[in-house]
Amino acid sequence: MTEYFGTTVADIFATMPKRFKPEEAKEVDIAIGYEATGEGGGKWKATIKHGTLKVETVDGDLTGCKTTIHTDAETFVGVTLGKIGALDALSSQKLRVAGDPKFLMLLLPKIFTPYAAPEKKPVAVTARDIITTIAERFRPEKAEGVAMTIGYDLTGEGGGRWTIVIRDGKCAVRGGLADPLTVKMTMEAKTYTGMMVGTIEAVTAFTSGMVKIEGDMAAAGATAKFFRKYVVPGATEAEELISLRVTNAIEQRFATGPVMGRWFAGLREKKFLANRCPKCGRTQIPPREICAWCRVRVHEFVEVGPKGVVTHFDIVYFASPDPLTGAVRDTPYATAYVVFDGSTEREAVTMDLKKEDIPRLKEGARVRPVWAEVTTGSYRDLIGVALDEQEESL
Amino acid sequence: MKMHAKNRNVAIIGIGQTSFSSHKEDQNQVEMVQEAVINALADAGLKIGDIDCIVHGNMELFEMQFAPDLWHSLGTGAYGKDEYRITTGGTTGATLVCAADNLVASGLYGTVLAIGMEKLQEGNTTGGITNMADPLWFRNLQTGALTGTTAQEMIDEFGEERAKRAAMRYRIMMDKHAMLNPRAHRRFGLEYSQMEDLMANSPPLVGELRLIHMCSQSDGACAMIFTSEEKVKQGTKNPPVWIRDHIQVHREETIPNLFGFNKPEMTHHCAARTLFARNGIQDPVAYFDVFEMYDPSAWWAVDWLREFFLLTGDEHLRMLEAGDFDLDGTIPINPSGGVIASNPIGATAMLRPAEAALQIRGDAGGHQIKKEVRHALASGFGGTFWTVLMILEKELNWQEVNHD
Repeated sequence: MTEYFGTTVADIFATMPKRFKPEEAKEVDIAIGYEATGEGGGKWKATIKHGTLKVETVDGDLTGCKTTIHTDAETFVGVTLGKIGALDALSSQKLRVAGDPKFLMLLLPKIFTPYAAPEKKPVAVTARDIITTIAERFRPEKAEGVAMTIGYDLTGEGGGRWTIVIRDGKCAVRGGLADPLTVKMTMEAKTYTGMMVGTIEAVTAFTSGMVKIEGDMAAAGATAKFFRKYVVPGATEAEELISLRVTNAIEQRFATGPVMGRWFAGLREKKFLANRCPKCGRTQIPPREICAWCRVRVHEFVEVGPKGVVTHFDIVYFASPDPLTGAVRDTPYATAYVVFDGSTEREAVTMDLKKEDIPRLKEGARVRPVWAEVTTGSYRDLIGVALDEQEESL
Repeated sequence: MKMHAKNRNVAIIGIGQTSFSSHKEDQNQVEMVQEAVINALADAGLKIGDIDCIVHGNMELFEMQFAPDLWHSLGTGAYGKDEYRITTGGTTGATLVCAADNLVASGLYGTVLAIGMEKLQEGNTTGGITNMADPLWFRNLQTGALTGTTAQEMIDEFGEERAKRAAMRYRIMMDKHAMLNPRAHRRFGLEYSQMEDLMANSPPLVGELRLIHMCSQSDGACAMIFTSEEKVKQGTKNPPVWIRDHIQVHREETIPNLFGFNKPEMTHHCAARTLFARNGIQDPVAYFDVFEMYDPSAWWAVDWLREFFLLTGDEHLRMLEAGDFDLDGTIPINPSGGVIASNPIGATAMLRPAEAALQIRGDAGGHQIKKEVRHALASGFGGTFWTVLMILEKELNWQEVNHD
């Protein structure tokens, strides 16, 4: 029998006696004919007489009916369930009534309780069902060179503890939590199954604290791509929505011009060359053709630094991509705002800070530049800054 | 700078939005834009034939689609009409409103449709923002729009406990507002009782900026229709909302020189100071009935309230703590849930005046402010600290602007 909106026309008639309210139909004496066309359709006759109901299928013509309803099977189910507005169906002629439609619309809700589609028992998926399929959903081509152990501590009903080990292009699932773990994720089992079957958005779960992450946050985010999506057994996609995947790689060249060119030529010589506004005297870094405050051309270059003072800093835990390579950056890393010795007070410069120095970084710290082994006249010449040990020990 | 008074008054007469979500797999860009346009036209009771000119905007780098206005023309209805394209980073949506206002005020066009859209899911937002920086310098260091410096400054100024509680109170307040707005993207159902837990356990992004503090990346579109006072007098389907004045303030293109030994005046403060002065608004907190602020993170939001309202010391924190910014407070902030809840970037800064206008009309639905809204403020933010600020009015009765 063809289903519409999760049920059939036949089921609506089969449940009619159960939904009938005899006490409301004591004064009623009517025979209603139904014709539902198309797949899953048919003809039915409902005879209501002084509190009794008789429903029968009809093979030939609908005879002896005071009122008849004609529609296609889909519209019939849709209107019965309230998915399609009865007035809309009448207006669009998809549903036709021979007799008085208004009378029917008033009568039927009075003598029948509303029809509800039979509840489909949802396929019960447990966290265990999903976790045990992990090895077969593994995509070794996406996890080349990856070595990590991911622990899941799933609490509540259907929960448990598992460790997923990814190494040498292989993936294995083990019971219990291994030690050490690259990352451990603790959540309710139903949160996990929800994320896997798509009823809970992963970002929402992470952001709102439904998932607790201990260890490498970036690893937690990266795991999804190592596995094919979990599909509930027997589930069918409602509608196929196709997305196109595109990766752009673009090589670019930017002219630096004579003013910024001096700055890069300075870096090649391991010097910081600012240009000084003839009017307000500020030392612009990076140097610019014009002082935007004074609206005058700036010609004079002065060497500043190489040491300076940290005015502000950011310690970054979020694994943002390195814009030059696209690779995920190693976290945490620190960017420091530095005012070089000899600079005017607002001309701060942002630079990466040497990773080992992060725990000792504070505002007001003295720093020195860390240069690349070979300098070529590029921002790559300056790796970043490090705490100035010489001055630190003073 | 000499500014001229408006040639003629301009009103917002139509507002259309899509819902906002992390994924709109069921629509392509053209279909999403069309949904917002259809909603705006229906709201205004107009047909596409009534539109004289279209202004379109988003951030090309996010979806990596050059000249998206060409692709979107079936959705925007631009075929056969004059069209302009605007892209100014985070402020795009607000700049679109300024442009539409100017196009109508100038007398060149009678009725203008502005459209802001973004499908952030289709690109890489942080990658896009990173590649927006000066390519000769700074690009190698960019982390997108994430920074913890404001959090640190607030902690230095007000103490760790008070500063952290203020940022989290603001965040939860925004979620409470978003819960009332069915179009909002992120609606977590947060409670103030979760404050301590979130302050301690939400994953850190940069310094004390945590995941929960930061705005979303959303898909969605917003469309607005603008027309002249003459046309409004012929009758409108919904009450008009008047654009009284707007201002744009930019700074030179480097962020680090905000972080030297002393801090220059922020663009927000400069914009507010200038805009209020030339409109004779002495006390913005008392004057305005709502402020739809572009709030990319809870830390920035709290800090910026002081800048926009020209407050000093801890006045903004005391107001926040007293509930003055709540939906039923003296000056409600972001009844819509703000940028923290929904952030389709090219539409985000347009949603601010759009939502402010709905508040003035009384049509905001579940997140409508209970008391009458007559004067509204809306802001846009983007780039290396750029500000757009505009004043919307219910009545056409303000004193002539002094632009000298």
